[in-house]
Amino acid sequence: MELLVALGLIALKVAILIAALLLLPLPLTWLERKVAGHMQQRMGPMRVGWHGLLQPVADGIKLLTKEDHIPADADRLLFKLAPVLALAPPFVVFVAIPFGESVSVLGNEITLYASNMNVALLFILAVIGIEVYGVIFGGWAANSKYAVLGSLRTCAQMISYEIPMGFAVIGVVMLAQSMSLLDIVRAQSDVWFIVYQPIGFFVFFIAGLAEAQRIPFDLSEAEGDLGAGFHTEYSGIRFAFFMVSEYAIMLLISVLSVVLFFGGWNGVLIPLPPILWFLIKVAFFIYLFIWFRFTFPRYRYDQLMAIGWKVLLPLSLANIIVTGIAFL
Amino acid sequence: MSRVLDSGGKWIGWAYFADLGSALALTFSYMFSRTVTMQYPDKEKWLPYQRYRGHHFLKRDAEGEIKCVACELCARICPCYCIEVVPYEDDKGNRRPAKFEIDMSRCLFCGLCEDACPADAIALGQQYEFSSFSSDDLVVGRDDLLAKPGKAVSGGAVVAAQFQAGQDVRVEATGTQGYNWWRNIRRR
Ligand code: SF4
Ligand code: SF4
Repeated sequence: MELLVALGLIALKVAILIAALLLLPLPLTWLERKVAGHMQQRMGPMRVGWHGLLQPVADGIKLLTKEDHIPADADRLLFKLAPVLALAPPFVVFVAIPFGESVSVLGNEITLYASNMNVALLFILAVIGIEVYGVIFGGWAANSKYAVLGSLRTCAQMISYEIPMGFAVIGVVMLAQSMSLLDIVRAQSDVWFIVYQPIGFFVFFIAGLAEAQRIPFDLSEAEGDLGAGFHTEYSGIRFAFFMVSEYAIMLLISVLSVVLFFGGWNGVLIPLPPILWFLIKVAFFIYLFIWFRFTFPRYRYDQLMAIGWKVLLPLSLANIIVTGIAFL
Repeated sequence: MSRVLDSGGKWIGWAYFADLGSALALTFSYMFSRTVTMQYPDKEKWLPYQRYRGHHFLKRDAEGEIKCVACELCARICPCYCIEVVPYEDDKGNRRPAKFEIDMSRCLFCGLCEDACPADAIALGQQYEFSSFSSDDLVVGRDDLLAKPGKAVSGGAVVAAQFQAGQDVRVEATGTQGYNWWRNIRRR
């Protein structure tokens, strides 16, 4: 009986997570378009619902009812597989992410995470690495020049930025002496790790921008020179899959930044419920992503590679060494 | 990169991404500045300036008679030959147009007809929404021209408007008190 309850609870948490992640693009696209509009002195969506709030729903219906077009020369199996491959890893990753300690519902303690893995950080980095297959397959299978170019770029970009990203979090792991995200957050109850690891955060966030393929590192779908990059040939629901995956990764990087460097649900000064603190911080990082997008131009491809290998990698290595020395 | 370094010891700013920071500050300040969007057609509408040259209209004199004396000067000066005037003599013995047609599809809104008219009978008014599915509808006769709105009185403003999609699609200004759209433009 107890096992059944525990299993049911996990199933419930996972169901809530999946539902939340699937619905997430709705408010995020709205926010992104609104912020974009106002930064460019426009209004953004205004017509559907109050201040365009229902616009994402209308867009969703449009995407669902659109023709699902597969190019004649495409590799049909890979073409259909790619969106799923791109979508699944960001969803899987959220299993390992804690959103708070626990809340008591009807006298029962319910933890705010699906699982407390002791290698959560490693798991996340590993699984998110799979996401690149979706992008590469998508570009390759479409058999179009733009798409192949976009996915080649993504391939190189993902590989070169995963390394500094992995190195950047080592400093955090050293400080917390654990790879479990729960322990990492608990270790930050007094001082957030951003205080000890500013360089680590800097490298992590920039690599995260590249990993999420957001401006200024969105070379894989540079609409100016590649049409839409790897998803040029995708339409309808399959395109929506890529879209959802992109937003999920953006959320993931925001959540990871908060958990690893900004004290997770530990608040400062104002005593708010921990989950609220967590959400506020994550919201700030999501805003930061959008803000960056509409401020910076895109890096050139060679600059992208140079930043990754010549700046971020040495920086992250130096960070590890300095942290190690200070730690000893 | 090197150019930033060369320009006189600015490397400290470069090292701390001063340029990126100022760019972020700029976009952030724009985010809270006024938007320039005019919500045409369902909420707002542009009321043109007095000088605006829109759809023609024919004027009446104090007695309500049409001012035009059918001299055909406008038809002669028109560079597009889009005015056709046929005169007749009314019961009072005045020369008046029996037929006065303007082909709006050919008009280039130069306003020469307005300048040429000796009787101050024709002018280009404020109406600018007269697109049509048929070019036949763009040939406008005398009685329609008499009913067209005149020059804008207090122009150069954005006023509240209502969108009506019925038999003929219209955007009707509901308010008269508008705001000057140019106030929203940021200048430095
Ligand atoms: S505005 Fe110019 S083109 Fe139009 S009817 Fe008058 S004279 Fe002709
Ligand atoms: S509108 Fe003026 S110029 Fe034209 S025919 Fe009449 S009086 Fe003459």
